[in-house]
Amino acid sequence: MSEAKKHKVKDIFVEGAIDPTFVSESIAKHATRMDIGAHEIFLGQVRADAIEGRAVVAIEYTAYREMALERMTDIREEAFTRWPEMTCLHVHHSLGSIAAGQLCFMVFASAAHRKQAREAVAWVVDSVKEQLPIFGKEILSDNDHVWKRNA
Amino acid sequence: MKVLLFGLIAEKAGSDHMEIPATSTADLDRQLQDRIRGLKGLSYSIAIDRTIVHGDRALSGSEEIAVLPPFAGG
Repeated sequence: MSEAKKHKVKDIFVEGAIDPTFVSESIAKHATRMDIGAHEIFLGQVRADAIEGRAVVAIEYTAYREMALERMTDIREEAFTRWPEMTCLHVHHSLGSIAAGQLCFMVFASAAHRKQAREAVAWVVDSVKEQLPIFGKEILSDNDHVWKRNA
Repeated sequence: MKVLLFGLIAEKAGSDHMEIPATSTADLDRQLQDRIRGLKGLSYSIAIDRTIVHGDRALSGSEEIAVLPPFAGG
């Protein structure tokens, strides 16, 4: 990957859930890359947590987009420095209302060999959760809500 | 200056922004706590120009200020 490509600010946000078809299409797009030997994919799904006897039916995600994209650009650059064998990294996060059971987060890395792809995905997932200003309002079955916070 | 509010903080304030003439982040914090009921007991960070800052910082008025509740991505 060229330096110019690494530094480009990419928009990771998608309105609504991530369609499983989008995941399979993302895999298919790499079929022409003969230098890739491993893909590692993390998918986050909205969990129907029980909060005081009420189930989470959806999470409404909002974000401070400009700051989130700046942090994501820094995380991408650091990931390519730490795992130089990684050939590409794709990150998508949902905004808006995502129902329990739907996908809201995807981190997809490809590399020549599995070790670099695996390590990079684990680190990027943690970094996104810790550093990106994304906020989640958990909508409960009785229409009340609580604000989600990452541990 | 325009202060951007997010998530729980925006909900408490009833708006996603406020106009606050603050000279420092400590001054901003005092004014926010006066204007947003229940803010004092909450955990939040202040970002200047899209970077979280700690301690007191002088503000010129040209910065992009945001008040951020705990993150919940993923």
